Amino acid sequence: MILNGIITGLIMGGILSLPVLGVAVIYGITGIPNFAIGVIGVFGGFLTWYFLSFNMGIAILVGVVFCFAIGYIMQRILLTPISEKGGDSTLFFIVTVSLGFVFEGLTRAIFPRPSISLALPRIGTINIAGVTVEGFKIFALLFALGTLVIIRLSEEHTEIGKSWQATSQNLKLAKLIGIKTNRVFSIASGIGCALACVGAIFWGSLYNLNLMTGWDLGFLGFIIAVVGGIGNIWGGIISALIMGMVMSFSGYLLGGMWQSVILYFIVILVLIVAPKGILGSERSL
Amino acid sequence: MREPILRVLGLTACYGMISALKGIDFYVNDNEIVGIVGPNGAGKTTLLESIAGSMHIKEGQVNFLGHQIERWPVLKRRQLGLMLVPQEGNIFPLMSVKKNLEVSVILSNRAKKEELIDRVYKLFPVLREKRRQIANTLSGGQQKMLAVGIGIASNAKIMLIDEPSIGLAPKLVTKLFETLKKIKEDTGTTIVLSEQNIKVLNIADRLFGLEAGEIRFDEKTENLSRDVVKDLYLGSIS
Repeated sequence: MILNGIITGLIMGGILSLPVLGVAVIYGITGIPNFAIGVIGVFGGFLTWYFLSFNMGIAILVGVVFCFAIGYIMQRILLTPISEKGGDSTLFFIVTVSLGFVFEGLTRAIFPRPSISLALPRIGTINIAGVTVEGFKIFALLFALGTLVIIRLSEEHTEIGKSWQATSQNLKLAKLIGIKTNRVFSIASGIGCALACVGAIFWGSLYNLNLMTGWDLGFLGFIIAVVGGIGNIWGGIISALIMGMVMSFSGYLLGGMWQSVILYFIVILVLIVAPKGILGSERSL
Repeated sequence: MREPILRVLGLTACYGMISALKGIDFYVNDNEIVGIVGPNGAGKTTLLESIAGSMHIKEGQVNFLGHQIERWPVLKRRQLGLMLVPQEGNIFPLMSVKKNLEVSVILSNRAKKEELIDRVYKLFPVLREKRRQIANTLSGGQQKMLAVGIGIASNAKIMLIDEPSIGLAPKLVTKLFETLKKIKEDTGTTIVLSEQNIKVLNIADRLFGLEAGEIRFDEKTENLSRDVVKDLYLGSIS
């Protein structure tokens, strides 16, 4: 069923594109590869689950705002200072992976269940050319694409967006002309983690969330971002949609156990042909 | 005698074990163009970056408009009215010319913003023509104009420019220097530029000769013999 495969792929890719966007925003602006954002996002997803019976809107808000705050604070008190002292990628790998383990541990310690599923209301079903799709999945895809458009538009047309671009393209000059670059970093990190949280919430309502999901989302998000051209938001989205298709079709045609084999094989192949990713990285300067 | 708006006392800066500046005394009066001349490695860039705050100094004082600023971060110095146009990496390469300028007026209020961008376009009409072009696709000369344009757009009281003539054709150097003089005259901006090009004599009110991290002379331009300066401190010939 080709159409079914395409639709499933698009939706998977759409949801995956949220943590990918998170990675792209954080890396594109701060230049720091943050491997913890998936785990932090899933922590936020658990938080949302915990408050879900209380009120859905508030529960989602609690998760997303909490993740934003964690991202902001983490950047402010930890990552920016390390960066200013000349920390390199290896150090950031170790620091952010450690942070990931901290939040995985916290998830295990705080929440009563290690695996959850978020019961968000379904919007009904939509019929696309004979294929029945859950409305909620379409909503997830549209939400991801809408987020992308909003980020791109604000980059082009708002003062904050312009100072983001400036900071990512030339940090030294950005400082010299008077941009509060440290605040830009903190906000970018906050937004990245909040996006990962939204991704985790969607993931948790369509599939399920457990202690490992954060690592999956984080690393997959990172790898997909690299394939798209790390820091390049369009590249990240295109790459996420392609990878979603790859996962969907390899699942359909060969069975679920082959998904990761095919996926990572293609990742390696793409990176051999185009080491800077499909659309090239803006941050190669 | 005017009171200097920028005064540097006993400035010492190092790169690891190597000292780049050895107790520099330096001052700039309001509304003048000061040239810092000297061979490569003399410490010109280090001096400018120490004043702007993008280089940590070891010892010494930097006084600007009555404030002791040597421990201030870049942003605070910028807010007080200091702006450095670096020698390299002085544009936002993947943004359009227009956006480069729009982001550079960030500290000014709305009405002032347009005026500043307009001022840049008037000084460099080619930038207005190419305002939609991505900055790193401009020619070398145009990129240099944009870099200086970013400095102008920042509306600083003092603009520090690191070797603006480097890599420019002789004709463009003359034109750029004339523009700098015009900026000074029209807006009252004080300009400090480091240079190796002899043409700096045509626009500078005073020259500081810097060699191996020490000041060799501090003279009004009219008192300096062209040949002496050329032989001692300026590499490229016009």
